[in-house]
Amino acid sequence: MNPLLPIVILLFFIQASVLGGTFQPRFKNQTTAPEVTSKSILRVNSTNQVYDLGSPWQKKPPTGRRGLGVLVGDGSILVTADLVANSNFIELELPANAKKSTATIQHIDYESNLALLRATDPEFLAGMIPLKLAEKISIGDSATVLQFEPNGEIARTTGRISSISIAPYPLENVGLLVFKISMPLQQRDGSFTLPAVHGGRLVGLLMRYDSRNQTADIIPMPIISRFLASTTQPDFKGFPRLGVSFAPLRDPQLRRFIGLTEPGGIYVTKVTPKSSAASAGLREGDVILAVNGLPLDQDGNYEDADYGRILFSHITGTLTPAGGKVVLKILRSGKIEEVPVAMKPLDRSSVVSPSFLSDAAPPYFILGGMVFVELSRPYLQEWGAEWTKNAPQRLVNYDAFQDELPADRGKIVVLAQILPTPDTIGYENIENVVIKELNGRPVKSIADLAEAAKHPVEGFQKIKLEEDPTWLFLDAASIEANRTQLMEHYELPATERLNPATSGQP
Amino acid sequence: MSRLLSIVLALSFSSLLKAAPIAESLVRIEATSQEPDYKSPWSPGTVLSGVGAGFVIDGDRVMTNAHVVSNARFLTVSKEGDPKPYTARVLHIAHDCDLALLKVDKAEFFNGTTPLEFGGLPEIESVVSVYGYPIGGKRLSVTRGIVSRIDFQTYSHSAMDSHLTIQIDAAINPGNSGGPVMQDGKVVGVAFQGYSGDVAQNVGYMIPVPVVERFLKDVEDGKYDRYIDLAISYQNLFNPAARRALGLEDDDRGVMLGAVYGGGSSDGILKPGDVLLEIDGYPIASDGSIRFKNGVVPLTEVVERKFRGDKVHLVILRDRKKQTVAVPLDDPWPFTLQSNAYDEKPRFVIYGGLVFQPVDRNFLAEHDPSNQRLNYSYDFFVEDGIYRDRKELVVLSNILPDPVNAHTGDFRYSLINEINGRRIQTLQDVAQAFAKPEEYYVIKTADVGPPIVLERKAVLAATENILKRYGIASEQNLEK
Repeated sequence: MNPLLPIVILLFFIQASVLGGTFQPRFKNQTTAPEVTSKSILRVNSTNQVYDLGSPWQKKPPTGRRGLGVLVGDGSILVTADLVANSNFIELELPANAKKSTATIQHIDYESNLALLRATDPEFLAGMIPLKLAEKISIGDSATVLQFEPNGEIARTTGRISSISIAPYPLENVGLLVFKISMPLQQRDGSFTLPAVHGGRLVGLLMRYDSRNQTADIIPMPIISRFLASTTQPDFKGFPRLGVSFAPLRDPQLRRFIGLTEPGGIYVTKVTPKSSAASAGLREGDVILAVNGLPLDQDGNYEDADYGRILFSHITGTLTPAGGKVVLKILRSGKIEEVPVAMKPLDRSSVVSPSFLSDAAPPYFILGGMVFVELSRPYLQEWGAEWTKNAPQRLVNYDAFQDELPADRGKIVVLAQILPTPDTIGYENIENVVIKELNGRPVKSIADLAEAAKHPVEGFQKIKLEEDPTWLFLDAASIEANRTQLMEHYELPATERLNPATSGQP
Repeated sequence: MSRLLSIVLALSFSSLLKAAPIAESLVRIEATSQEPDYKSPWSPGTVLSGVGAGFVIDGDRVMTNAHVVSNARFLTVSKEGDPKPYTARVLHIAHDCDLALLKVDKAEFFNGTTPLEFGGLPEIESVVSVYGYPIGGKRLSVTRGIVSRIDFQTYSHSAMDSHLTIQIDAAINPGNSGGPVMQDGKVVGVAFQGYSGDVAQNVGYMIPVPVVERFLKDVEDGKYDRYIDLAISYQNLFNPAARRALGLEDDDRGVMLGAVYGGGSSDGILKPGDVLLEIDGYPIASDGSIRFKNGVVPLTEVVERKFRGDKVHLVILRDRKKQTVAVPLDDPWPFTLQSNAYDEKPRFVIYGGLVFQPVDRNFLAEHDPSNQRLNYSYDFFVEDGIYRDRKELVVLSNILPDPVNAHTGDFRYSLINEINGRRIQTLQDVAQAFAKPEEYYVIKTADVGPPIVLERKAVLAATENILKRYGIASEQNLEK
């Protein structure tokens, strides 16, 4: 008798799901809410060009990306930042009537991977209807991803939200709320920037699609609404960050050793210098037990009223605005303490090797054919997917352990390559070494380098490197005399770009 | 059909006749070796066998390459025309210049052999013959070519040492290793390495006589010491601005020191920016070459001929002033970590299923870890003076799964900094830390993360099971 029971139950479930699939209009609001039409979405074609960081006076060949934007009110079109990052040219297109307009970026935030565009033709969006954000979505709800057929009709693919969690965004070290939808999706446009809707409202923007597992990652409404709110703040510097690395506290031996009797809790393994956590006095070895009174489990999750068990960084990074406050309950040296933390975004100005460069043109300085650049992770990523192994190890190391450098280290200025000239004879094989001093002056930025170059010593540019071959000398008068020739010969538009300037777009 | 056969026979017969005096001294070496396993360091290792060549030299000794007899467990030698294998043993082995001397257990082996004599450095384009037992048959093989180039080359056996090397265009194949390269009846080199055909054509290398003679002189006292080194790196001085800035004339002389490696012979005597003008009286050209006895060679050739405790006299230019300095030569020990090691047992300590090992080139070759801090510490062990803080790079190399270590997986390949407050400099420190009874062992790594905490009583209860489950006879080996 007993062995039959599980089979019966199983059959029942299959039947239920078949029914759910067949009779579409089952969801309450779907019968009442209007379907999203082509009056709210449009095609966005972006031509993007990134700088060649080894030869930073030039850009790499342009690449085109296509996606769909969503009108979110007041002439603003929401897309992913990925779609329009480093764009030279953005074109909007209404598939129904093939009308086109160029567009500019109004706001872009690389952390949340979102951007707002505005059409240059003020009449272009006439008759279009802005889409509202969905209010409450739970696991199991359906969501429909919209695409355009070549004939301008909307193609709808519906799936269910299978998980809601804090997951990586394209920028390294950024984890924010993500909805995952299981669905088979056909690639129709050049990218997966596509709107996902439910009940006539916007659930989010698709930012990547895993075709093998058929899961779509969605930037959901809470992130979008935080981004939209930020666009009205003139001093917006990004989502707030706590600035801690942590490890789960699953090991009972470790829990006993640190005298942890309460359930849950996470172990702080690193506090980012100058971060919110650092300012609040958080230290390595602290155990975070609760955030704003919500207890954390041993992996750092709390019970969210809307989304269930998700990582506490949703509270600190999304629900709390910059300038807001969170209260941490911590265990330190066997004692429970409450620590208020004033939340602020990451101070990017003090970052030694930035993990992304946004649209800014990278600074560089060319001294008699020697090309100097500032170290950044994108520079290392020029060595390809295996850059941590293939890029020069000293540079990789500077990037990986930049938090351990002295606070006044400044930027790492790298002699990236040498454009051979008669002035650089004998130096041809030197590349990717870090400069320490020029003419006895410490070099902590490209600007420092440019300044020091104005003060040659006894007629020489005296370059001191951090490593072998340590010293390089150039004839100051000769390189100045040969500068025009160098520029003509290698077709350099300029021998320096001192301050990061934004390209094309405001 | 039969006529063709007789021609082939006659040809081979005539060449055999010519080769006869050399053939009498040629030795075929069959080596059975056991390669240690750095992934399961407690295992005795895989048994392999191979064939190489050697030749008889004075004193009833057989010379061959170190790589032919490395990690050897059992060696037999046989002579051309005498089928009997004789057992042999390694008398001296020099992994840094890929040479070894063997001794044959029965002296009668040498009956009828003639010790070969050494010649000098052959001229470029002069003809040499290579003798050995390369693939393609069992008997002696002779190939012939010319001397293509004389230069410094990395010896791939240790992978860290470079010495004078002669490139020849005679075919050198596996099995030629250790065989003599002859000219006018004298040995002018020992065949040792080459490129496979898909990299370069007709490029074979032999160890020239100066390197062989240095080895033979080194072992005269009964033991082999390593090569010594100035432990510097220098930069050409072609650049006119650099020459003027350093106060040099336009005479194409001198090289500038780019790096002086800590722990090496020149540490504290030379510094980056010094210009080397002369070495033991030989003027140094701006590319670092000198005119030596045997032609133009890199300046390091002067050092190559010397032994530990000898001095090198240098004329340098520092702050535009000429100075004479003497550098006493010593072994730059931190470099040995980055060389291939042979005839060593892997060292390890196992505690609670956690395996601790020192990292060296052998270890990395098998493990290929992706831990950034470990790879950096290894790559820059000498250059950045890592060796001052850590005599060895001790890592948690593996976790043998057991409930007692269920949460330690994230720490694999982390460098170990401390155990219960004790700084971990060597593997010995790890063994000592665990030997001291404590309630908890708190292991701090160099990576970002919480400490690894092991409870002594839990470990003690689990140890026997772990060792049994993974077939481990001993919890540690601290001896090489």
